[in-house]
Amino acid sequence: MRLKTRAKQFFLQVVLMVIGAFVILPIWGVLRLAFDGSLFGRATSFRLLPQTWSISSFLRVLDSPYQSVVFSQLLLNSILVSGAAAFLAIIFGMMLAYAMARFRFPGKKLGMTVVLLTAILPPIAFVIPLYVLMNALHLRTSLLALVLVYAVFGLPFCIWNLRAGFMTVSIEIEEASFLDGASPWTTFMKISLPLASPSIFVAGMISFLLAYSEFAIGWLFVEKASNVTLAMAVYAMVQSGNAQPWSMLGSFIILISIPAVVLFLLFQALIVKRMMFGYLD
Amino acid sequence: MRKFNRIIRIILIFLIICLSGFVRWKAVATLSIDYDEDDYLRAAQQFATLIKNKEFSGFLETNYRPEHPQLTKILLGLSLLPEKAYPLVKDSPTTAGPNIYLPRPLVKNARIMNAVFGVASTIGISILNPVAGLLQAIHSFNVKYTSEIMLESIPAFTSFLVVFFYLLWRRETGTRHRRNLWIVLSAVFLGLTAASKYMYCIVGIAVFLDWVMRLRSERKQSQTGFVLLIWVGGAILVFILCFPYLWKDTLPRLLDSVFYHVRYSTGAAEVQSANYPVWQPLNWLFFSPSIWQPESFLFSLDPLITLLAIFGIVRLWKKYRVFALWLILGLCFLFFWPTKWPQYTIMLTAPLCLAAAEGLDMLVGIPLRSIIFRRKLVNSENTPTEKNEFRKAVPWLIPGLFFFTLLTLIPLIYQFEASLTDFNSNSLREAMQGGIFRTVFNGISGKEGVNFQEFPYTSMQLNFLGFSNYLPLLQYLEQLGIISYNLLWTFFSVLLQTILGVSAALLLWQKRTWFRSFWQVLFILPWAIPEMIGALMWRNVFLPETGWLALGVAKYGSSFPFSFLADWQNSPEKTFIILLIAGLWYGFPFIMLAASAGLRFIPSEVMDSASIDGAGGWQRLRYVILPLLAPLVLPAMILRAIFSFNQFYLFQAFYQFSGTLATLSYNFFNPTGYFTRGQFSIAAALNMITLVILLVFVLFFIRLENDVTRGSHAVKN
Repeated sequence: MRLKTRAKQFFLQVVLMVIGAFVILPIWGVLRLAFDGSLFGRATSFRLLPQTWSISSFLRVLDSPYQSVVFSQLLLNSILVSGAAAFLAIIFGMMLAYAMARFRFPGKKLGMTVVLLTAILPPIAFVIPLYVLMNALHLRTSLLALVLVYAVFGLPFCIWNLRAGFMTVSIEIEEASFLDGASPWTTFMKISLPLASPSIFVAGMISFLLAYSEFAIGWLFVEKASNVTLAMAVYAMVQSGNAQPWSMLGSFIILISIPAVVLFLLFQALIVKRMMFGYLD
Repeated sequence: MRKFNRIIRIILIFLIICLSGFVRWKAVATLSIDYDEDDYLRAAQQFATLIKNKEFSGFLETNYRPEHPQLTKILLGLSLLPEKAYPLVKDSPTTAGPNIYLPRPLVKNARIMNAVFGVASTIGISILNPVAGLLQAIHSFNVKYTSEIMLESIPAFTSFLVVFFYLLWRRETGTRHRRNLWIVLSAVFLGLTAASKYMYCIVGIAVFLDWVMRLRSERKQSQTGFVLLIWVGGAILVFILCFPYLWKDTLPRLLDSVFYHVRYSTGAAEVQSANYPVWQPLNWLFFSPSIWQPESFLFSLDPLITLLAIFGIVRLWKKYRVFALWLILGLCFLFFWPTKWPQYTIMLTAPLCLAAAEGLDMLVGIPLRSIIFRRKLVNSENTPTEKNEFRKAVPWLIPGLFFFTLLTLIPLIYQFEASLTDFNSNSLREAMQGGIFRTVFNGISGKEGVNFQEFPYTSMQLNFLGFSNYLPLLQYLEQLGIISYNLLWTFFSVLLQTILGVSAALLLWQKRTWFRSFWQVLFILPWAIPEMIGALMWRNVFLPETGWLALGVAKYGSSFPFSFLADWQNSPEKTFIILLIAGLWYGFPFIMLAASAGLRFIPSEVMDSASIDGAGGWQRLRYVILPLLAPLVLPAMILRAIFSFNQFYLFQAFYQFSGTLATLSYNFFNPTGYFTRGQFSIAAALNMITLVILLVFVLFFIRLENDVTRGSHAVKN
């Protein structure tokens, strides 16, 4: 009997290792490039480990990864743009979501369907009109345009998610608050908002990361090198073709993923729960 | 009342038959001569001569184009009898182009013969489901190949009858005599199908499978098993009887005829030069021959029919499993079959149209009926206690709605209007001054006529084009098979992600798994990495010349693992596999997390009582775990399906610029891009097409959501 469970455990671990290898493979590939100090252009021979260990490429990335712009400027742009976009998406999304979760009014069902539809459209579907609109407002090449565009990408998801979040707050608590004489605004601020804060946090985080990691569409709204975000700088490096400094690209990719990975690993259970559109409640 | 319904139904079927006949008559009269028509006409002429001279022994030796059996050719020969004899059409190699000098009266007769069988199929399908009959009547590929001198029409009809009589046999509750009659008829038609064209025998396998699946749940197993044997034997007997060429040297001739296909598919020059990808049959199903010859077809709704069939296949499985099996088996067969001519898809028209009819009923019929009969759909969300709270909602709605309308809704409307013009990067200046709204308004109100422009659009002025962007664009998508590729990509991504995700969750859920939390964190990693970073990582593995795989193959040769994928950029299938691997990596953790969350809800008592009841590992998985997981994994799968359908960064990173609709749209739009630059109106039209497809997704999603939540309530109660 014991032998059997041992054999089973062994088999189980082997299967898990195979899946683990699959997961690790591309990450390893990038790590190997990032830590190789001997690489100047592309990798020329097959290696599992770097030829000479070095962190010089990380230092170079932290110095100036894109043209003459310093890393801190790119990081600042990224945080500013993503943070502002997430903030806008949350504020406006929250209001619509609360109305949709709490009240009955004509056209609600249609509204929900439209929101769901916009939530599942690819971001590219909003770019053309925004491109024209931003041009017309003479905002196209400003950071504000990027903020608005990314906020639009995040908004439908925020509405749909926050609605599910507000629906988990039981209506009895709100009614009790009304009976005690609180105004709708107070009730919202003191009762519903705190109770729904996990969903708000997740929706904000997803919107933030959406903007943080977007790299192709952003280029349409940027002209000055000083307005580029981190993700866009990565894409610029990729676009430079075979001349690209591969180990710099590798270390850049690692640096840019660290915040996202940390956030996701810390809040994984919460995120899954919220991403499921309220199915787990 | 019932009698009245019946009369209506008969009138309806009659109208459908008239339509089917009319559409095919038009095709018979106007279609230009196609490849292979000369070959089959020559074969028919030979039989016509034999019959006229009463040399029936000649049947034993005559079989021009021996890779196909005789029956269809003999029937086509019969159709030539009323005409005077023409000199035999000359023998030409399979690579030859269409022979346009065929004697017209003969062509007409043979085509009419086929069209009659095409209409007969319509009748059969209409009896089962009039809507499906209507769809078959107008299915343009079916119209084309059942109205030409091809071998498709007759086996398409007989193969449908195989299933039809099989179903009658299943339902018959009368005397044993009548039951036996139905099954004998089914066997006879299977034999006739085989004697008309081998490929159509897939239907026999579908019936066989359905039969075996039912056999397990039946009581009198030995008896039905015996009937099954008789059915197979009878079919073989009829096949031999209707294929006199086989009466002498049976086995060598049969083998020669069958193995011809293997040689043909791997050796023939035209097959090689066509070089279709594995999934080409699916592209054909999303294609319409009206692109080749628009004047011969009244309808070209094939892509729509296929799309509806995708949504209806589950219902078809529940209603007539055998047809669903036929569709799935047939499609799999065509995927594996190396030759991919468009006419082979006729094999699937009957089940395809039945599935599409189910899809149509689900997406349009049921909501429509519920409106007409005022049956309110159950909606658990709306509590009936309070009514209209519009006033309370207004302060919350105004700011949100303002932002949402300005930056989300208006863009969508704007997009639609832009797709009606020739908006491009040169006319950007005019568009910025409100030109789109002005142009579309002028166009709709008739102030400005439709002003056609050459593609690619370069005009500095905006011009109103009406809907004329859409048709060429849809044809472009059909010709490149982009929609079918996009759907195929979505299907396989979600399938693989679900399999790996659920298996990983189950492995981690086992009692006493070592290092459980380590594995869990490791497996979540790809999900935490932003999509574009993941795409770049995989690009680093697979990039030609500089990627890990390419370097490994350069160093160690073909013994390197997965070396067969190294030349992926030359083969659409390998590119597909590469992208699937990257997509799997990115997508499986989400399904795994959803499944893990679901597994935590399964009480251990349930598992214990299942094992006490004697359920084995597989049975516990199939009947206990998976049904309990479904309410959580299904929505996760739908989310992944939407992501996959819209996948953009992955395709962009691998330079697959026309991989998905979203990628194509971006690259048509991109003012500094690779394609014809800044074709804004084309990109807008593409987005509208995506919108329509996703709208169908949403309708489906909402229906499924209702079903699943109802299901989970049932579990809770």
